Amino acid sequence: MIRLLHIEWLKLKHYRPFWILMGLTALITIGVCSSGMLFMEFLKKEGADFKGFDPTMLPLYDFPDIWQNITYVASFFKILPAFIVIISIANEFSHRILRQNIIDGLSKKEWLLSKILFMGIIAISFTIVVGLIGLVTGLIYAHLDSIQNMFSGTSFLLAYCLDVFIFLLFAMLLTLIVRRGGLVIVGLFMYTFMIEPFGVHFLNYYPHLPDGVRAMALFLPIRAIHNLVPIPFPRYMFWEIQDYVSVKNLLVALCWGGFFIAASYWILKRKDL
Amino acid sequence: MTILQTNKLTKKYRRLTALNQLDFSIEKGMVFGLLGPNGSGKTTTLGMLLSVLTPTSGSFQWFGETPSAKSRKKIGAILEIPCFLPYMTASQNLKVIARIKECPIASIDRTLKQVGLYERRNDPFKTYSLGMKQRLAIGAALLADPPVLILDEPTNGLDPQGIVEIRELIQEIAQSGKTIILASHLLDEVQKVCTDFMVLRKGEKLFQGSVREALQEQITIEVAAKDMEALQRALSDYTGILKLEKKDSIFVLTPQKETETNDLSQYLFEKKIVLSHLLQKDGSLEKQFLNLLSEHT
Repeated sequence: MIRLLHIEWLKLKHYRPFWILMGLTALITIGVCSSGMLFMEFLKKEGADFKGFDPTMLPLYDFPDIWQNITYVASFFKILPAFIVIISIANEFSHRILRQNIIDGLSKKEWLLSKILFMGIIAISFTIVVGLIGLVTGLIYAHLDSIQNMFSGTSFLLAYCLDVFIFLLFAMLLTLIVRRGGLVIVGLFMYTFMIEPFGVHFLNYYPHLPDGVRAMALFLPIRAIHNLVPIPFPRYMFWEIQDYVSVKNLLVALCWGGFFIAASYWILKRKDL
Repeated sequence: MTILQTNKLTKKYRRLTALNQLDFSIEKGMVFGLLGPNGSGKTTTLGMLLSVLTPTSGSFQWFGETPSAKSRKKIGAILEIPCFLPYMTASQNLKVIARIKECPIASIDRTLKQVGLYERRNDPFKTYSLGMKQRLAIGAALLADPPVLILDEPTNGLDPQGIVEIRELIQEIAQSGKTIILASHLLDEVQKVCTDFMVLRKGEKLFQGSVREALQEQITIEVAAKDMEALQRALSDYTGILKLEKKDSIFVLTPQKETETNDLSQYLFEKKIVLSHLLQKDGSLEKQFLNLLSEHT
């Protein structure tokens, strides 16, 4: 396992786009996740009306809510590390590296495993980044009495980690099918931010749909993965939200993860290189 | 010891049969030439032997075992073009391969020196000339010091000097007792380095045998004299000749295996025929190859 990880590391550590995308993801995540209060102050200055509330009074960074808030926001940027996965796999196809690796004595299973393990490392790295953001911003902004709840709600960090990881698996599967990096990047972007959200909206709001069909919205892959960390912000309008990681969502997401791996392996196994 | 054994190896792409029921074996120490025109199934065969293509039917064994990633670690191979990550240097690329093959990192520098790339080891692969890329590919194949080497068109796209360099390198490696499989359409190349060869055409095996024997069958002797009629009479009495042909103003004869050119010269001298032209022409694989192809059309 260490050997497989090391092989992938040797391939990527000299690849500049890898570091640029990793750095960019970290920067954007840190920038956006830690500027919630600045944003609220901006809203206040612009005279935003929160039904008489002062926006800066919102306890965005209070423990334990902070964990769900920042992992939810950070989850949107997982598209960037997905680009790393897409580019690195598409590169291996266009330069025939995968083929040469097999010739040199790696099995297809090992090759896939080296990619998957590395995706795990990427997901864990960003989870650590988000965890650190949570600790630092929490200690800066959280109200003192919430500090005792510092580590409750950290299950959202695990959910975020899985969220990123399974999304990367999805990107890998698409790349193995299409093999053209540019196409996959455009396709993944469109599917994640347009096609599936539109589909979900359609299922939720189109009249005359039987309930069984409507329920499918929860099982579409991007939605299912994203549901690992449910949207937290309506709670600030006193709406009820799901403030925990539900076992049902977890199972659905894990099923997708398993499917992505199995399908990737099946495709790789079948295809001539 | 049998290194490789195939059993009715077949590859079909929809309607096209790229390789049809190929049976052959390779013994330890052979330098085995795989010959055939473009599209005859050479690379398809090697692709299956290296597990990057799945056979439609049939099977093969490396070292008497079912093929696996483990058996491929004992094979150094290049298939068609050199494949490396362009943004990485020679050293960095070889490091990945060393890790895959589980061989010591120390062999990298040794290999780079062997293929003459040590000075350029820290330059990115994309800055290399075609010849350097090809040499790096051979270096990668040699990296783990494998008992078997598979080289597919190793001199493709090289300049004459590069071709000679690669050829010398192959001969050097062959002398160290390694088994080599060399696919090429350059017959001259195969003739110079191989001990055995096989000819493929349209996915069918036309011939398999030893290079030396094939060449021996191809020796011809040209003779001419002032008195061609006397020469013809003398030659038709001579028993050591398989075939006699008149070409323009000379006779081209195919001698029997044991007939030496000086025996013939001696015989004609005794018959008081003085030759104005005597030339022994060695066979070439090219002739043999063209014969084989024309026999099977």
